[in-house]
Amino acid sequence: MLELTLQALFSGLLAGGYYATVAVGLALVFGTMRVINLAHGELVLLAAYVAYAAETNYGVNPVMAIPVALVIVGTASAIVYALLSRINQDREINSLILTFGLGIILTNAILSIWAADIHSTSDPWFQDSMVIADTLFAMNAEVAAFIGGLVLMAGVWWWLNHSWQGRAVRALSSNRAAATLMGVNPRKIEILSFLIAALLATFAGFAIYTGKTVFPALGHVLTVKAFIITVLAGMGSIPGVLIGAIMIGVIESLTVTYLSASLQELAGMILFLVVLFVSPSGLFGGGRALAR
Amino acid sequence: MTNALDILTLRAGYGAINVLWDVSLSVETGKTTVIVGPNGAGKTTLLRAIMGLVPATAGDIRVDGQSRKAMKTWDRVADGVVMIPEGRMIFPDMTVEDNLMMGAFPPGCRRDWKRNKAMVMDMFPRLAERRGQIAGTLSGGEAQMLAIGRGLMEQPRVCLIDEPSLGLAPVVVDEIFRILARLRAEGLTILLVEQNTSRALKIADHVYLMQSGKVVLSERGDRVDLERLHALYFAHETAA
Repeated sequence: MLELTLQALFSGLLAGGYYATVAVGLALVFGTMRVINLAHGELVLLAAYVAYAAETNYGVNPVMAIPVALVIVGTASAIVYALLSRINQDREINSLILTFGLGIILTNAILSIWAADIHSTSDPWFQDSMVIADTLFAMNAEVAAFIGGLVLMAGVWWWLNHSWQGRAVRALSSNRAAATLMGVNPRKIEILSFLIAALLATFAGFAIYTGKTVFPALGHVLTVKAFIITVLAGMGSIPGVLIGAIMIGVIESLTVTYLSASLQELAGMILFLVVLFVSPSGLFGGGRALAR
Repeated sequence: MTNALDILTLRAGYGAINVLWDVSLSVETGKTTVIVGPNGAGKTTLLRAIMGLVPATAGDIRVDGQSRKAMKTWDRVADGVVMIPEGRMIFPDMTVEDNLMMGAFPPGCRRDWKRNKAMVMDMFPRLAERRGQIAGTLSGGEAQMLAIGRGLMEQPRVCLIDEPSLGLAPVVVDEIFRILARLRAEGLTILLVEQNTSRALKIADHVYLMQSGKVVLSERGDRVDLERLHALYFAHETAA
């Protein structure tokens, strides 16, 4: 019983790591532009399918395809930004409609190219399991994704806190007019946040392809999950997003272990609603502060 | 003497509503120029137009004789035109130190940011004590000092200061004006907008009075008669 619980907690922790890499990208874009990019999950999906195409069509190890995926996902993200930045009126609602539509286009493009089948890596190394402390099992891919995700998020966190551009991202999300008066060109910083979101999305896509399974409808599931985690954490801080993501991962994992896999999504939603009911501004509430 | 800033028959406003009607004024290099006037006279709009935050529809804005009308706000900042805005507009969820570092964001200011920060910390010991504190928890006076310090980090050629004493306790207002007097003595070029007329006149090299989007009085600082200024101030207000 204890072992089962520990295993469920461990699996939840690992899942939380990759949820967080998806959510941080969404939160970053929200911070600089006050826009929810509803196509963010589809960018993750696009990266996963680039990994799939590299492996099945070209026989390349998915890891080797990451640079190509970065270019493709980065371009897609830049196109989303280019379209979004043309919205002058009612940005909140129009940006939701636009990005939702772009998400549908991406999903269907993927559907028409690669069909609706479920895919995962055929490389055995990723699927091999490792044993930690004699009791905890995990696939190599899951552990690699967790560690890689943490390193990547720590890098983004450092960048936000200690670089000129990163500080400008936080300034822009704190007070747009004041940031402009500091000589910040908002468009440059916005595009930069989209590109970093694309970097995180690419990594998450590869993590999903190697550690889980991909199918075209996964995109909007990821968007919703990332959105929930971001709101749960209280719109902001990277450590907060990580904790929120791990909470969602753990409660899903416990639900699958002790109740039923079909209740997995419901459990995450209930946690989300309870947190919002108790603390409407999220767990680490009130803060619009990225990186704190 | 050359002028750091020349405003020539400037018109500007918000969409269909024009606020500034052919405003002309000059800011002499190394001097403190003060604009006074009642609420709604267009003082803040003028400063915003100088920064490019409000579009100029006619006239010109020249910095050291060069037209800056078509420049973007951030390029004007990099060019040395700095605004310390009304309401301070500090970054509330960043530390005092990070706020100051944002002032050094323009590429030309980054090289000397350490030296400039030391200068600001020296000028405002209270900010030095609170360097790691989240700026949103500062008192009004401290926040104003931070806004001024952040503006100085931008290495201004011309420094526009909008209502620095607004909403502050009298003893803090004294302190802010002492700082402004010190900056003036150090030769900073200042364009100050202030409702506290009597205090502002004491540090003014030149004074403009604005009314309903126009300059109605231009006078050397030492020649301004406060009673006459107030008479004008209220005469126009009742006439309008």
